[in-house]
Amino acid sequence: MPNYRCPMCRKICATHLDLARHYLGQTDKKHKEWLKTQGLSYAALIKAQVTEFGNNGYEALAKVLQKEATVIDEI
Amino acid sequence: MKQQLNIVVNGEPHELFIEPKTLLVQVLREHLGLTGTHQACDSSSCAACTVVVDGMAVKSCSILALQVNGREITTVEGLAQEKSLHPIQQAFIDNWAFQCGFCTSGQIMATKALLDENPDPTREEIQAQLDGHLCRCTGYNMINEAVRDAAKRLKARKDLESQKWLQTAKSGKGAK
Amino acid sequence: MKEFSIIGKPTPNVDGPAKVTGEAQYTIDMTLPHMLYGKLLRSPYPHARILSIDTSEAEKLPGVKAVITGKDTPGGKWGLWRRFRELSDQQALATDKVRFIGDPVAAVAATTEEIAEKALDLIEVDYEPLPAVFDPIEAIKDDAPMVHEDFPSNINATRHIEWGDVDDAFAKADYIREDRFVLEAAHPCAMEVHNSLASYDKGTGRLTVWTSTGSPYFVQLNLAEALKMREGDIRVIKPHVGGHFGGKNSTMPDAVNAAILSMKTGRPVKIVFNRDEEFTTTEHRTAQHMALKLGLKKNGEIVAFEVKAMTNGGAYTGLGATTLYLTGTFITMPYKIPNYRYDGVRTYTNIVWGTSIRGFGAVPGKYCSETQLDRAAKDLGVDPLEIRRLNAVAPGYTAPGQYTFESCGIQPCIEKMVVRVKEKWPTIEKDEGIGYCGFAYMSGGIFNWIDTPYAYSSAHIKVNWDGTVDLYSQAADVGQGHNTVAAMICAEELGIGIEDIRLHMGDTAHAYTDLGAWGSRETLMNGNAIKDAASQVKQKLIDIARLKLGENIAYDLVARNKRIFLELRPERGLSYYDLVKDAIRQNDGVPLTGTGHYTPHNKGMISPAYGMGIMAIKAKVDRGTGHVTARDVLVVHDSGQIINPLGARGQVEGSIHMGLGYGLCEEMPMDQGMLLNPEFVDYKILRTRDMPEIEILEVPTYEPNGPFGAKEAAEATIAPAAPALANAVYQACGAEFFSNVLKPEKVLKAIRAREAKNNAASQAKE
Repeated sequence: MPNYRCPMCRKICATHLDLARHYLGQTDKKHKEWLKTQGLSYAALIKAQVTEFGNNGYEALAKVLQKEATVIDEI
Repeated sequence: MKQQLNIVVNGEPHELFIEPKTLLVQVLREHLGLTGTHQACDSSSCAACTVVVDGMAVKSCSILALQVNGREITTVEGLAQEKSLHPIQQAFIDNWAFQCGFCTSGQIMATKALLDENPDPTREEIQAQLDGHLCRCTGYNMINEAVRDAAKRLKARKDLESQKWLQTAKSGKGAK
Repeated sequence: MKEFSIIGKPTPNVDGPAKVTGEAQYTIDMTLPHMLYGKLLRSPYPHARILSIDTSEAEKLPGVKAVITGKDTPGGKWGLWRRFRELSDQQALATDKVRFIGDPVAAVAATTEEIAEKALDLIEVDYEPLPAVFDPIEAIKDDAPMVHEDFPSNINATRHIEWGDVDDAFAKADYIREDRFVLEAAHPCAMEVHNSLASYDKGTGRLTVWTSTGSPYFVQLNLAEALKMREGDIRVIKPHVGGHFGGKNSTMPDAVNAAILSMKTGRPVKIVFNRDEEFTTTEHRTAQHMALKLGLKKNGEIVAFEVKAMTNGGAYTGLGATTLYLTGTFITMPYKIPNYRYDGVRTYTNIVWGTSIRGFGAVPGKYCSETQLDRAAKDLGVDPLEIRRLNAVAPGYTAPGQYTFESCGIQPCIEKMVVRVKEKWPTIEKDEGIGYCGFAYMSGGIFNWIDTPYAYSSAHIKVNWDGTVDLYSQAADVGQGHNTVAAMICAEELGIGIEDIRLHMGDTAHAYTDLGAWGSRETLMNGNAIKDAASQVKQKLIDIARLKLGENIAYDLVARNKRIFLELRPERGLSYYDLVKDAIRQNDGVPLTGTGHYTPHNKGMISPAYGMGIMAIKAKVDRGTGHVTARDVLVVHDSGQIINPLGARGQVEGSIHMGLGYGLCEEMPMDQGMLLNPEFVDYKILRTRDMPEIEILEVPTYEPNGPFGAKEAAEATIAPAAPALANAVYQACGAEFFSNVLKPEKVLKAIRAREAKNNAASQAKE
């Protein structure tokens, strides 16, 4: 089973969606800033997640992480 | 200009020189070190600082010390006898009528004034007397139960005393 | 069930004699020789840059010993979410800008309080007002003013919880409803205001602080951060505390500035907030917006639940981020929810900040979910008590990745409620209704955002030659009665009396760490540590008794009634007091000691155990005035093995008082960040006449993770009061509420809305 590493820290998750959840739970500048390089806005993602029912914010980030997160075969 | 204040607190006479604007609560807490009387607001709206002045429950934050010049004041420190607690105090303990204890001296002193005047109050009469006393811990019901319990204890003590007096009177020993 | 000598027996408060005679010392009662009085100058603006501060006139005032501003402080920032360093956002005095009305900008120490206050008037601060933001919906906008740098759209923290397949479950649900809510803030209103007395010893470089806190350890570690000192050079002592209710977890500017002023002057300094400062600058229950989506089967069974929360965090973090997480947790309890999603965002705003007030997380969340559940039940034609019974969890229930209920009495509680409510209220009057609410709450948190490297709870006991016991712990009695519980647990384990135990609690220099009184943690966590410590001593005594009695090694020995004896042959035994003397003699004269610890492991994300139950409130509505009266309260409660029935009842009664206040009258209206009711004259807490009588029925279970089977009793019963009341009004007259404070005007409006709805419906039929 592949795992995915957060582009900004050591966190490893089993799915891109879980990784997106981890990512948007961080409060440091580093995590927030990297999103800009991907054409995303931290605040917009959070707003999408919390102001509408559904998982819109996480799913949008998960799509990006599918390309950007390093694949780790074993932990 | 400081002025002279003569008061009797818990049976002890005190002579002090104070600024006329000094509140009774300040005299008790700061000058006499009687910190059992607490203040929980600055607007005369919590009654935590209640003491008994000549039998009346008074908010000590809302009265100038000089207004009680020459009067007798009882605070929570003055209730217990040498070795035993006052029945009201014991009733408060046995009924878990306090938690943090910060408003308790005010509740107890108001109860003292109430029971001195009305030895057998109803729930409504207790609520009327204690209505201004804010308590954030207990939800009040256990305080009301303590007050009713205290009334019973005081009545029992009084009955016992009058019985004793009667016996003594009958035996003729107390005639003189 | 096991027979106890002390546990479960109504036991008067061990602090009782001190508290009813006025001998109990609170921080506010303390003075030290040569002591100075400190006061804080606070910002009149909700958001402003500080351009300059001139303290020269204040310094000249006779009696003033020190005036400090932000640049005079060591500059360390502190907070309680230390695993996220950037959330350590509090500071002693503002340096660059102020973030709410009341943010401190300067501090004065003087020989009297009056001189200190006069000195404040002489300090000149030049501010440049900045645009401010007061509501989470405004705060999260792209162009909103930023309260803190590096927090775009003022997003302070987010929490997400999810299990099952929510979207799929909604697609298959028979019934779905969505509701949106606005919850008001409320103040804890402890009777003793925040206050601290600090004494710095220049010779040793050590600091001692007496403070009105729920956690001496939190104050110790936060002071170390604020002052850039070692924790070990700071001693924090918690005297008697005049109420906590969650408002005394954070270290506040009183403790930090008293310490800095003491370091500067070399004299003890005391800072006492006045009641206005208490209301306007200390932590409250967070106001928030919530949206709930509930999916049910036709019979009322929950299939999916989704919750979104936006909280009005205020200027700093405190334990508010924990509250955000717990809002998403407790809203699910005590029901089986197979598919669940929660998203919460806490926004920074320019008001005083919200935090972990009694029942934190549960109070706003349960208000929404339980009033929504009643509306759903009505739509589906299911009885409100039946829908709760149907969805109630069973022992062993696990919310995936989050929590497990080991002991769990919710089903028997509801069954008992069904029977009792019929007996108690066989008929109800016109315009009366009965409302229900299920509830559950943790027995101490497992999460460690505080990032303590120490055991969550510790206790140390020393048994002296005469058999008396000294019990040391940092655990905090803040009025909830933990000292009594601690003495009872220690005495029960050793088989001795409460009068044999002497407590030394709440002092960081005398005991290993305990995280303090929050999240209903002391009975279970500190209780486990005390039991551990006492059992070590008991084992030593049992070993000696076994040797002296010369009995078969298979026989069990017990400690009870001040003896150690064979469980099956009680006549064969030895006196506790004699055994203690033997043990000390045998131990080269060293008193017997035991050191106990407790840290939960493998118990999920939330807590090792949960108190729970169901509440019913009978209320009457005056349709003419909109006035609501809570007439009678019935609680059926599983609190595990009750340690002290007197104290447990007090906790339930008190939390219902606060919960009803949340539902009826407590609110914190603000205008441009200014609190409009910062006194008890205008901030209404319920008085004795407002309180209904409360019947509490215990349905005890045995909690395997708790000392003697005990668990939480202090907080579970606050959350259900307001929703049960709103549901009672709903049952009485159909009025629906999407906000908590049922003031008459709001009730009248809701009654009118219901009447309009009914009229429209009947017209549509015609």
